[in-house]
Amino acid sequence: MIKNYFKIAWRNLSKNKGYTAINILGLASGLAVCLLISLYIVDELSFDRYNLNADRIYRVDADVKFGGNEQKLAVASDPMGATLKKDYPQVEEFTRIYTSSGSKMIKKGNELINEERVANADSTFFDVFTLPALTGNTKTALNEPNTVVITESSAKKYFGNVDVLGKTVEADKILYKITAVIKDIPKNSHFNFDFIFSMKNVDYQFGNFLSMNFQTYILLKEGTDYKVFEKNFKQVIDKYILPQAKQFMNIKSMDDFRNSGNKLEFSLMPLTAIHLHSDRFPELSANGNIQYVYIFGAVAFFILLIACINFINLSTARSAGRAKEVGIRKVLGTERKNLIAQFLAESILMVTISLIIGVAGAYFALPLFNNIAAKSIDISNILSKQILPFFIIVPFIVGLVAGSYPAFYLSRFNPVTVLKGKMNAGFKKDNLRSGLVVFQFFTSIILIIATVIIYKQLNYIQTANLGFNKDQVLIINGANALANKDEAFKNEVLNLPGVTSGTMSAYLPVVSSRSDNSYSKDAVMDPQNALSMQTWIADYDYMQTMEMQIKLGRNFSKDFGEDSSALIINETAAKVLGYDNPIGKKIYTNYQDQNSTRLISYTIIGVVKDFHFESLRQNIYPLGFRLGHSNGLISFKVSTADVKSLIKKIETKWKSIAPEMAFSYRFMNESFNNIYQAEQRVAKVAITFSILTILIACLGLFGLVTYMAEQRTKEIGIRKVLGATSVNMVTLLSKDFLILVSIAAIIAFPVAWWAMYKWLQDFAYRISISWWVFVMAALVALLIALLTVSFQAIKAAIANPIKSLKAE
Amino acid sequence: MIQLKKVYKYYNSGSKKAYVLSDISLDISAGEFVSIMGPSGSGKSTLLHILGLLEESNDGEYLFLGENVSHLTEKKKTELHRNQIGFVFQAYHLIDELTVYENIETPLLYKGLNSSERKSRVAELLDKFNIVGRKDLFPSQLSGGQQQLVGIARAIAGNPKVIFADEPTGNLHSDQAIEIMQLFKKLNEQEKVTIVQVTHSEHNATYGNRIIRLKDGLVVQ
Repeated sequence: MIKNYFKIAWRNLSKNKGYTAINILGLASGLAVCLLISLYIVDELSFDRYNLNADRIYRVDADVKFGGNEQKLAVASDPMGATLKKDYPQVEEFTRIYTSSGSKMIKKGNELINEERVANADSTFFDVFTLPALTGNTKTALNEPNTVVITESSAKKYFGNVDVLGKTVEADKILYKITAVIKDIPKNSHFNFDFIFSMKNVDYQFGNFLSMNFQTYILLKEGTDYKVFEKNFKQVIDKYILPQAKQFMNIKSMDDFRNSGNKLEFSLMPLTAIHLHSDRFPELSANGNIQYVYIFGAVAFFILLIACINFINLSTARSAGRAKEVGIRKVLGTERKNLIAQFLAESILMVTISLIIGVAGAYFALPLFNNIAAKSIDISNILSKQILPFFIIVPFIVGLVAGSYPAFYLSRFNPVTVLKGKMNAGFKKDNLRSGLVVFQFFTSIILIIATVIIYKQLNYIQTANLGFNKDQVLIINGANALANKDEAFKNEVLNLPGVTSGTMSAYLPVVSSRSDNSYSKDAVMDPQNALSMQTWIADYDYMQTMEMQIKLGRNFSKDFGEDSSALIINETAAKVLGYDNPIGKKIYTNYQDQNSTRLISYTIIGVVKDFHFESLRQNIYPLGFRLGHSNGLISFKVSTADVKSLIKKIETKWKSIAPEMAFSYRFMNESFNNIYQAEQRVAKVAITFSILTILIACLGLFGLVTYMAEQRTKEIGIRKVLGATSVNMVTLLSKDFLILVSIAAIIAFPVAWWAMYKWLQDFAYRISISWWVFVMAALVALLIALLTVSFQAIKAAIANPIKSLKAE
Repeated sequence: MIQLKKVYKYYNSGSKKAYVLSDISLDISAGEFVSIMGPSGSGKSTLLHILGLLEESNDGEYLFLGENVSHLTEKKKTELHRNQIGFVFQAYHLIDELTVYENIETPLLYKGLNSSERKSRVAELLDKFNIVGRKDLFPSQLSGGQQQLVGIARAIAGNPKVIFADEPTGNLHSDQAIEIMQLFKKLNEQEKVTIVQVTHSEHNATYGNRIIRLKDGLVVQ
C-alpha cells in the first residue's frame, strides 16, 4: 500500500512538472535559507562552550559612573581576582588577561611582524580555560617571566613546525622562551590569541583597585549560585576599594559616593553569555548580539512558513484537478484515511526532494553566506548533532503541516458532486487561501520596509556629519616602531606630492587608543564636581588633518609657549563643566600618577565642535585634547587619484627608515565602517532574505494564478465569445489578488513601524521613519504581484476561446 | 436483493421542495439485468446514485441484501463499495495517473488482497477482456471503448454482487457500444452478476431482461 502511495505520488509530481517545479523550488529555497540560518544560530550559541567548565566560569564586570560619565566595563582591577580567591572559598581559581596596546612586534628572521592577537595571562589561564597542549605543560608554562605559549598555527608560521619547545620568540625586543604549544583556539571563542605571554612581563602599577584594565575570570566551585555570589562585591568594595579611594578623593563612605550621583558596581557575566549578551568595554573581539539571533531565527521561521503556505495554496488550488481521482477512489471503496495517507505521502515525497535540493543549495551557498555573515562555518557542521535532526524531523513536520490541509480538504469531497463535474466553484471563495496570500505579502512588505530603513540608517551613519572628515585619511599603523625617527618619517611623507597634512597621534575617532581620566573643577578631587573625560594626546596638525572645527578659543600653536599645560575640550565637556565660556578656566587632574594625590592643572584654551568618536549608537561624551607626543599611529590626509602608487612611495620611505619593520596601513573610512560591521552584516542578510522571501511569495502567487486561470478557462472562453477584451480579462483575474496585497500592506504598516522604531532606539543618532518608505514598499509589493499575476492572466486572456470551450 | 420502498428525493428550492424522485418502490432480484430508462431530467441518474449508495434518499426505505442501508455510516458504505458494488461510468473515470494494470488493481488494494492474489486476479481479467497487451498503457493512450473495457474490468475486479452502470455506452460509437453491451450480457449470464444500467437507448435496453421507465420522478412502467 505504502509503495503504491509513493508510486502514485511520483506519477502525479512528474505529470505536473510546472506545478512540481514551483512547489519544490519554493520549498527548497525556504529550507536552504532555514538551514543556513540554523547553522548560523548554532554557531552563535556555541561560543565558549568548548571549555569543559564553561558553566562555572564567570567574567568580573564593572559598572562605573563617575563625573557624569557612565561606563560598562568588561574589565576589573588587577587585585580583584586574587582578592576574590583569597576571601571566598567558592572561588576555585581565577585568571586575568591583559592586552595593553593590543599588538606586539614579533621578529621572524630579519622581519618584524605586527601581531595583534597577543595577550598576557596569568599562569592559571589554562586551569580555567580548556586549551589543550600539543607539547609542553600548560599548567606551569606561564609561571616564570619571559615565557610564552603559542598556538600550532603561529608555531608553523614562525618555525615551520610545532616542535619548538625551548626556542625563543622576540616580541617588542624582549626574548621569551616557548614553554608550550597549544592547539589553535577554537573560532567560536570570545578571545582568540596566537601568543599568550606571561603576566609577569606586564609593566603595570599593580595593587590599584581603582584602575580597571584586566579581563578577570573566576572559576566557581560546583553548585555555587553566581547571582548569590555577586552580593559579596559590596563587601569587597567596603573592605578594599573605599580605603584606596579615600586617599585622593574627598569621600567618606560609599553612600556618600553614590549620593553624589556616582556608581561603582561589580557583576559576574557567565562565560557562555559573553558572545551574545555582553556589550561592554573593552571586549576581546567583536561580539554577536542575541537580538540578531532572534531576528535571524524569526526570519528563518517566516521564510519556511511562507514556503509551506505556498505549498498549501498550490495543493488546494489544484484540488479541483484531483477531485475526480478522489471521487473515483471513494467509489472504489477507499477510506478517508487512505486518501489522507496518499496526499501526505505525496507532500512528504515532495518535501524530501525539496530538502535534498535545499541542502545542496545550502552547500553551494555556504561560502557566500559565510562571506555575508562574516562567519567561517564549515559544511561538515550540517552533519552535527544539532543540525542532523533537521533532516529527519523537518521533512515529516513540514510534509504533515503542508500536506494535511489539502489531504483533509480533498478527502472531504462528495464523490457524486465530483463525478457529476460540479467541482469547479471550489476555487474562488476560499478564505483560508486568501488569508495565506495576505500573510505572505504581509511578511514580504514588512521585510521590504525593514530593509529600506536599515539601509537608510546605515547610509545615514556613513554620510552623517561626524564632526570630522574620515575620507582620504591614510593611517599608518605601528608607527611607534619607528622610535625617534617618527618625526623624520612624517616630514618625508609630507613632502610627497598628494599628501596635504599629517598628524601623529594614537588617538583617533575610529578604533584606536583611548584614555579616560578624572578631572575636577577645583584643586580638590571631590565626587561632587568631578568629571570623567577622555583625554587624547594630539599634535599641532591634528585638528587640521581631521578637519575638526574649533568653535571657541584656539588650536594648539607653536606661537604660544605654555601649550604643554593647555587643554582643548569638546562642546559636551564644556556643557558638563557648566561653563558658557570655558576659555582660560583651569581644570585639575591626577592622571599622570594614579597613586598620587597631587593634582596638576590645565588651562582650557579652546572648544572643538562635538565629533563622534565612538559608534553612533552612543552619545558623545566629554573629551579633551592635550598637546604631546603619541606615536602609535600617523595619519595623513591625502588628495590624489592614484592612492596606490602613493602608498607604494610611503612604504619605500618606511623601508628606508626602518627596513626590518613590517609596513601596515588602513584607511580611516574603512576603519570607521568596521564599527558598524554587525549592522552591515544584518543589513546584507536582511536584504538577501527579503529578496528571497518576496521571490518565494511570488513563486507561490504565480502558481496560484496559473491554476486560477486554468480553472476559469471556460469562464474566460465564454466571456471572450461574448466580447470581453484581453484587458477586461486581465483585470478580472488580477483584481482579487491586488485587493489581498492591499490588505496585507495595511496590516503590515503598523507592525513594520513598531519594529523599526524599536531597532532605531539602539542608535543615539538616527533617521526618522518617513512615510514614503511605507508607500513605496506597498507599491513594490503591488507591482511585483501585478507582474506575476498579469503574466499568467494575459496568457489565459489571449488564448483561443474555442479550445477551452470544446474541452468542456 | 434490492428493495426500494416509497423512496423520495427532493431538493429545497426556495420555500418549495423540488421532487426528483417520488414514491419509488421497486424490487430487483439477484441475477437480473435491469435497464432504467426515461427522458432527461426524469431522475434516473439520481435513482442509480441512491441504489449505488452515492446519495441518500430523503424518505423511504432501501434494503440491500436484506439490510436497511437508508442511513449508513461512511465506513459501512465504504465496506459495501469495496465488496458488493461495482460502478461503470459514462465518462469511464479511470485514474489518469495509473496504467491499465494499476487501475484494475486499485479496488483490490482497498480490499486488502496480498500482492500475489492481486497479480493473479488482474492477470485473469486482462486475459478475459483481451487487453493483456495494453496493460502498461495509460488511459489517455486508449480509445473510448478500450477505456470502458478497463472500467468494467475494474468494476468486477472485486467480485461485486451488483454492477451499477450509468450510461456505459453514452460516449461510444455503435460498434464499441455493441461490444460493451455484449460483455455486460455475458457477465450477467455466465457469472450471475446483477446489473443495473441507466440508458437512453432502447436498443441497449434489449440486452437486459427488464426495463424500469421513469418520468418526472415517477415509475411509469
